Order: sequence, then structure tokens, then C-alpha cells
Amino acid sequence: MRLLDAVVQGCLLGGQYALFAAGLSLMFGVLKVVNLAHGDLGILAAFAAIGLAAGAGLPLALAVGVVLVGMLGIGAALHAGLLARTTGALPQISMIATFGLSVVIGNALQEVFSADPRALDLGWFGTAGVSLGGISVGLLPAAVLAVAVLALTGLHLALTRTAFGRRVRATADDPGTAALVGVDARRTYLVVTALAVGLAGLAGVAYAASSLVTPLAGPSRLIFAFEAVVIGGLGSLWGTLLGAMVLGVAQSVGSVVDPSSGVLVGHLVFLMVLATRPAGLLARARVRA
Amino acid sequence: MTDSSSTPANTPGPLPVRAAMDRRSLLRGAAALGITGAAGSLLAACGGVKSAGGSSSAAAAGGTQTLRIGYVTPSTGFAAGFGEVDPFVVEQVTKAVSKGLTIGGTTYQVRIEVKDSQSDPQQAAKVANELIASGVDMLVTSSTPETVNPVADAAEAARVPCLSTVCPWEAFYFGRGATPDKPFTYTYHFFIGVDDLAVVYKSLWLNGVPNNKKVGVLWPNDADGNAIRAGLGPILTKAGLTVVDPGAFPTGTQDFTSIISTFKKSDVEVVNSFAIPPDFATFWKQAAQQGFRPKIATIAKTGLLPEQVEALGDLGPGLTAGVYWHPSWPTRSALLGLSSADLAAAYEKSSGNQWTQNLGTTTALLETAISALVSSGSPKDRTAVANALGKTSIDTVVGRLDWTSGPVKNVVAEPLVGGKWVEAEDGPFPLDIRIVENSGYPSAPVAAEDTALS
Repeated sequence: MRLLDAVVQGCLLGGQYALFAAGLSLMFGVLKVVNLAHGDLGILAAFAAIGLAAGAGLPLALAVGVVLVGMLGIGAALHAGLLARTTGALPQISMIATFGLSVVIGNALQEVFSADPRALDLGWFGTAGVSLGGISVGLLPAAVLAVAVLALTGLHLALTRTAFGRRVRATADDPGTAALVGVDARRTYLVVTALAVGLAGLAGVAYAASSLVTPLAGPSRLIFAFEAVVIGGLGSLWGTLLGAMVLGVAQSVGSVVDPSSGVLVGHLVFLMVLATRPAGLLARARVRA
Repeated sequence: MTDSSSTPANTPGPLPVRAAMDRRSLLRGAAALGITGAAGSLLAACGGVKSAGGSSSAAAAGGTQTLRIGYVTPSTGFAAGFGEVDPFVVEQVTKAVSKGLTIGGTTYQVRIEVKDSQSDPQQAAKVANELIASGVDMLVTSSTPETVNPVADAAEAARVPCLSTVCPWEAFYFGRGATPDKPFTYTYHFFIGVDDLAVVYKSLWLNGVPNNKKVGVLWPNDADGNAIRAGLGPILTKAGLTVVDPGAFPTGTQDFTSIISTFKKSDVEVVNSFAIPPDFATFWKQAAQQGFRPKIATIAKTGLLPEQVEALGDLGPGLTAGVYWHPSWPTRSALLGLSSADLAAAYEKSSGNQWTQNLGTTTALLETAISALVSSGSPKDRTAVANALGKTSIDTVVGRLDWTSGPVKNVVAEPLVGGKWVEAEDGPFPLDIRIVENSGYPSAPVAAEDTALS
């Protein structure tokens, strides 16, 4: 029973990781860029939503909506202003550029919002739970998991079933050849980056509702998202969902055995996957996104 | 990416280990607390000693001289919340001594120079050594071992008198390698210790809201958590409480299900947390989602500042926490001519922010420093000022500070009372902390009866 409970809670935790990992996975799959500022962009969205809702008094749904649209814009600007200049060059260059961005965002947030921890208050919904056969399931984590699954499914369908998806896959495979047949690689990259940063924003808002956020919390979010992507298989969206679940369950079950090693067990599973299946769990069945 | 610590690793909570217990627990606690202290002292040893004795303004001509007090405090970084009151207090104190101090026939102007430690031990040591090198006559410092210990180490090494607060005194004393046989010469401190915490906790849990005396503890795997486990745990057990300790969880844990189910299974009705604010928030929200609601939750490290409790939303009111200064205390600052209540009101009016407990300690810190400079009779003589600190006995807003009767030389143990966060009945701020038990400091009026969490 205790184990079952841990597995259920681990899956719910995995939902949070999956949401953070979705954008990271998408960007790596298409642009081959590891965006080290992904976690910080999420935290930026969280603080923006808190600022609009608690500070400016906007209704919560409107504040979140405004922030998500804003994040799409920031993503487009990020590509146009930074990544377009670094993609194609050595992969290390875009990595260092996003690392710098991560430092800038964290410290800028600290300057504006101070070091105080903050949260997005969802009222009763944030703390409500239902009991399913003796296992308590929080409504908020369940909603986050549902959003993560929806986002990844939607992305998967968009990439495999639409004309836009075809262009994205073509660009991901070979931007040169895609350009020959009239696909504007630069525009495709821009749209994908905007989507990925929008997803980071969604994940950041969900995180701010589940816990507290501090301006420098970004990199610790990035680590778990990155592990989920690698466990599942780089560039595979279903793999990312699976990787996030594996990581969440490993942490949760690990802490049933010993509360001091839950996070450690998660890291160990990550290393085990790297050692035995370096391409990730779903490497073969991978969607070439 | 290595700097992934989103979070204050060592916010000042009240904590460490009680000395007298037994030698082993003492050593363990001291070792745990020593990490930051050691880093600080290395730096101090590098940069501090050579600047000893450089008192630049000592030779100033004429009847007026300047006394310089260097104040190292976290204005930015994770502990920045503690430094929020500094500009106000420094301004008030500077105004109060603007006519100068007449000591032994000489009139001295007083200048307080504030330096930001960025909540970081290395930066704290660096700015302390800069102040020492520029010839300050005295150092004062406040808020968390990360700032206090390196500054005190630099001062001790350079033989500059230093007064500090808002760091559990065991961390200041044993954490920096002092023993009752080998105390410090230049560095003095006042703040609560583990014994004061135990007094409040026993009173809240044994004599307050009726409960089954089963205490579930959320003590993380960090220096403070482990020091509390070694120091406070045995005291609670001896007092007749059952401590349910699911184990030391790592900072940054995202899923507290196993801890929550241990608490549920053990029928825990009291929760005590030393987790950093984001971890406590994660735990507390998951506890609510999973239907675990204890009768009492007493928190350290998270419950000190109103913003930290406000961030918990509906789950904030009802939490209990230690209080080391409150506007309702019947105390006053002779230097500022303000009672505790007036001090809080003046701060809120001037800054627009809600008072914090550091308003009391910072005011007491600067007032005591000035009092020691005066009573030394020779404020440019560093040994005389240090000796004066050791003989100081003064009434401040945080109560009487008497270094002649402390638990150890160099230290005054400040009293602690228990407070409960409630929704404010009036005023511009959403929350208010009310005193619900005062066994450690009976002069503090009890304002509300403690009630079980709903």
C-alpha cells in the first residue's frame, strides 16, 4: 500500500518534471540546442504571473494567460536575438550563451523581486485532495500531470500530423535540404523556440503554485528536466514523458526506503540509464522531432 | 549550473547544539556548525592580520575626532529579508548621536558604515577585512552564521572589537572553535540558543493546545538540521515528548509523501520544521493535499519574516514560531527614546514595510555598540572597547543584555517566546504574529490563546 502510494505520488511529481522537460526536449530535438536558461525562463514566468496577480491585482487566469503569451514573445526574441546567431556554430557556443542568459535572468529577478520566496496562490484548489481507494491525490498535482500529458500529446500530434510538423521535422533532419524545397528554417526555429519557452512558462507557473519560488531556483529545475529528457531519450517526446515518470517514481519510492536518499535514487537511475542505454529508454521508437 | 542552490541553505533559524549535554554531542554539533566558520577564518587569516592596529583617524588634530563603526549585514542574497530594516535603524541611530559623543573630555563624531555581505561567507570576510584595513574602530554584524561568523573571525584575528547578533549563539561560539577555557577576546554576541528554543517548544507542546505529545520532525540533512537533531532531540525526549523522526531529508526534496505517511501512521499531532522556506512550503501543501493536518505546527527558518508566511497563502495562519523581539515587549531604546511599540510604528511609517524581528535586534546591536564605546573611556583603544563590551550590562529593546552573567564569556543568551501567525484584524498588512506563550520571558505580554490548527 505504501509502495503503491509512493508510485502514485511519484507519477504526479513526474508530471511536474515532464512539463519542465517538454520544452527542453523540443528545443534539443529541433535546434540541437541545450537551453541552460530553460529553468530560469520558467521562474521568470512564475514571478511575472505572481507580479501580475498579486501585485497588479489581475484575475489569476488572465495573469497566467498574459504571461504565457509574453513567454511566446520572449521565446521568439530569444531565437532572433541570440540563438539565430549561434546555431550552426559549435554547439558549445549556444550552450554558453544560454548559460549566460540563465545567470542574467536569475540575478535580474533577484534585483527586481528581492530574495523573498513567493508563491502563486490558487486558493482552495492548491491544497485540495481526493482519496482514491485510500490513496490521497492532490487536485493540483493531478491537474499538472494532465496538462503535461496534454501538452506532450498535442506537440506529438502537431509534429506528426500537420504541415507545420512536417516542416519542423524536415528542418530538424537537414535544414539545408529543407531550405532547398522552400522551408524557411529560420522561421521554423523561431516558432519552435517560442513554443519551447512558452512551455517553460507553463511549467514555471505550475511550479510556483505547488511550492515556493525564489529568483535563483531555475538551475535546480533544469537539472530534473534535463535528467527526464536524457532518461527518456534525447529528442523523443514520449520518451520525455516516460523519463519524467521514471525520475518521479524513483525519487518517491527511494524516499520510502530511506527519506534521506530519495533525490539520490533519482540521480542513480539517471546514471544507470546513461551507462546502459546512453541513447535513452525510447531511443528506438523515437519520434524524429 | 553548479550553483543550483535555489534556496537559502542555512537561513538563520534558531538552532545548534547545546554545549553542556555531553562531550560527544557537543563536538558533533560544533563540527557541523564549523563548516562556515572555518571558511571564514581562513580568509580572515589571509587578509586580516596585517591590518591590525591601523587606526587612521586616531591622530586627527583638534578636539573633535571621528569614531567609525563598520556594519556588515546581508543587504542582498538569500538572507536579504533580515537586512531590510538596516537603512532605517542606521539612520535613526546616526540621528540620535549627531551631536557627537563626549568621552573623557573629547568629542567624537560617530559614523556608521554599512557593507553588504551578499549573504555569502566569502563576501562577508572580504568586506570585513576592507573595513578593518580602512581603520574602523569597531565592527558590528548581524543575521545568519554565513555573515556573522566570518566577520567575527576577521575581527578576532585583527584584534578589532566586534559585536554580533541573529545567529544561534552556539554557532557563533562553538562553531568558531571557542571553549569556556579558551574564549574570544575581541568578539561578543547576543542571541538565542538551543535551550531557549527548548523552553518555547516544551511550553507550546506540553502546556498549550492539548495533543498526544507525538512530535513529527522535519529536520533536513544540513548543518542546522543535524545540529538540531543532536542537540534538541534528546531534550525533547527527556521532557516526555515522543519524537517521530522519519530521517534527514535532503534540501530540495520535491516529494514528501513518505514523510507524510510516516507522520500519519505514527499518529503525529505536532510538527516541527527546520526546513528552508521552499521545502517547508512543498511539504505543507502536500500534507494538505494528502489530508494530514496536525494540531500544532511550529516552524523555524520559515516563520521569521511576514513575507515568508504570506507566501503560504491560506496555509500560513495558525503556524507557531519563536519570537526574539516583538513590538508589544515592555522595553525601550534609551538612545532613540522610543518604546518597542513606537519603534515598530516609526519603522512602518517610514518604510511602508511591516516590522520584522530584526528591527529589535539591529537597534539593540547599534545601541550596545555605542554604549561600549562610551563606557570604554577611550574609544580609540581597541582593547579597552573589547573589555568594555565584556562588562556591558544594558537595557535594550530586546531586554537586558548582561555580558557578566552569560552562559559563556562573550555571549548573552537572549530570551525567546512563542508566537502564532494570525490574520491581522486591522492595519495595512495581511498577517500579524501574536505572542501565545512567554515562559522564557514573562515580561512579554501574552496576546492570544494558542488554538489548534483547524
